[in-house]
Amino acid sequence: MVSKLSRPQLASLLALFAGMVVLAVLPAYIDPYSLRIVTGVLMWAGLACAWNIVGGYAGYISFGHSAFFGIGAYVTGILMQRDLGIPFLATLPLGILVAVGVAAAIGGPTMRLRGAYFAIATWAFAEMLMQMAIVLDITGGTAGLSLPAYLNEFFFYYTMLIVALGVYLGTWYLLERTRFGYRLKALRDHEPAAEAMGIHTTRVKVQAFALSAGITSLFGSIYAYWVTFIDPRSVMGPEITDQMVVMVLLGGLGTVWGPALGATVLWLINRYIWSELGDTAIYLPILGLIIALIVLFLPNGLISLLPGGRRGHGLLGRLLRKL
Amino acid sequence: MYAGADSQTVRHSPLVLEGLVKHFGGVTAVAGVDLEVESCEVVGVIGPNGSGKSTLFNLISGMLPMDEGRVWLVGKEVTGRSAWRIARAGLARTFQIPSLFDNISVRDNLLAAAVEGDWKGAPRRAGEVLEMLEISHVADNLASELSGGQQKLLEFGRVCMRDPSVILLDEATAGVHPNIRRIMLEAIRRVREAGATFLVIEHDMEMVREICDRIIVMDAGQVVAKGSFDEIADNVEVQRAYLGRQR
Ligand SMILES: Nc1ncnc2c1ncn2[C@@H]1O[C@H](COP(=O)(O)OP(=O)(O)OP(=O)(O)O)[C@@H](O)[C@H]1O
Ligand SMILES: [Mg+2]
Repeated sequence: MVSKLSRPQLASLLALFAGMVVLAVLPAYIDPYSLRIVTGVLMWAGLACAWNIVGGYAGYISFGHSAFFGIGAYVTGILMQRDLGIPFLATLPLGILVAVGVAAAIGGPTMRLRGAYFAIATWAFAEMLMQMAIVLDITGGTAGLSLPAYLNEFFFYYTMLIVALGVYLGTWYLLERTRFGYRLKALRDHEPAAEAMGIHTTRVKVQAFALSAGITSLFGSIYAYWVTFIDPRSVMGPEITDQMVVMVLLGGLGTVWGPALGATVLWLINRYIWSELGDTAIYLPILGLIIALIVLFLPNGLISLLPGGRRGHGLLGRLLRKL
Repeated sequence: MYAGADSQTVRHSPLVLEGLVKHFGGVTAVAGVDLEVESCEVVGVIGPNGSGKSTLFNLISGMLPMDEGRVWLVGKEVTGRSAWRIARAGLARTFQIPSLFDNISVRDNLLAAAVEGDWKGAPRRAGEVLEMLEISHVADNLASELSGGQQKLLEFGRVCMRDPSVILLDEATAGVHPNIRRIMLEAIRRVREAGATFLVIEHDMEMVREICDRIIVMDAGQVVAKGSFDEIADNVEVQRAYLGRQR
């Protein structure tokens, strides 16, 4: 509806196009190991974007996004078992549907309250779901679940690429161009005023949460097929959520492209530590340190350091006050 | 005045309040307010600080739940409805403390006010409102970058985007430059001519004299006087309310 693109929007579109070309031809030029790392960057960029929709735009901190990642992974994992034999693509919408339903059920009652209730509810739900995955038979318990192997790194690279791009473009369009985006930004900036404009803020927040959950589940599904083996810890562990949160804060909360930046930097650090030390035990303390540094020195994230990056807008402070 | 009114009673005036009460702990901020505002009327609400004016607005607009009383908006009872429903029923309001959408542009603030209304026509309308309020030159700035007076104008601009039946203005011109006051007055006049009904909280007596058809005076949560500007100016209760408590 808004007719013209502003200059920063045009610039980011051009940058996006250049990036797309590079990403499209990349597999021809790098080794398989590096390709896996870039595939991981794409996935985490998409996940961070999903978390940002509810954390950065609706202004509600979810500590339970690992649950949605796990829902996608397990729905795909379970449905692709030999006795069911449902094709991979057909499992994706089912995972999304379950995640959206669950998000609506959690968000409906909690998102009319202050953010702390939501944060605790999502955290508790994720814990509960992980425990369920541990004790149930259908999930394979702690022994995990193997999926039919499809060992084609190119397939997963391009799948992640297309989905991540779709997620970013879709998010950008939705947030910058539609009524939904205006409703979301209005309630983020001033909830009573948004209500005074007739915006049903609770409904919009729940929609944002459901959308975010659906995207997260989609990546969970692809991830499960990619790594061919899942267990409760690896697809529902709290570290998954932690990483999404830190990526968003590092890149720039409540910005369209910040999460991609944060995800790239952080996932490269993660992989570097892994390749140097053989495990990532030191990674969690590093995440903690990064959070502390951001809160103290860079509340608007890395993206605020770029030319044309938005001036300080104090979203982090507002988010924390909302708790 | 409305004692004995049953739930079937139809109220045709744009805004009818009946026995509104609100307590905050031990404080009774609004203590039984009745009011009927006629079509296209501008009613001023004056009274000393803390007399319950803003709280009254919060009750009408559904921002706070009331303890007692009923509210009718353009013939429909809206008592107990949530704020967004009341807004969609035709109410618009501004806030005493500017409550803009700080991280989006001035123009986007106006567009955001139209999301539940005429979305297709919103860009054109936003252009008109920007012009009317003489803030076109800052349309692409962030709302938080506006001066205090411009913020007040934008608050009112968002109201103009919505075509409401009833408009509540909470100190729309408090502390602004005379130039901005003039722009605001002219805009209010235009919106009124288009058929809106106003309830306005004002401390500025000049402003009250210029725009209000009728005035109610609040003190300690109650309406202690009502009448025309001249009647109010001579009223003993009013003088007591202002002189006895405020200073
Ligand atoms: N959310 C709240 N919680 C507790 N007390 C409140 C709240 N809002 C208002 N009050 C109290 O209610 C009374 C009326 O306040 P209100 O803001 O309605 O006055 P007002 O007439 O708008 O004053 P002013 O002219 O200063 O804006 C005051 O005693 C105030 O302290
Ligand atoms: Mg007040």
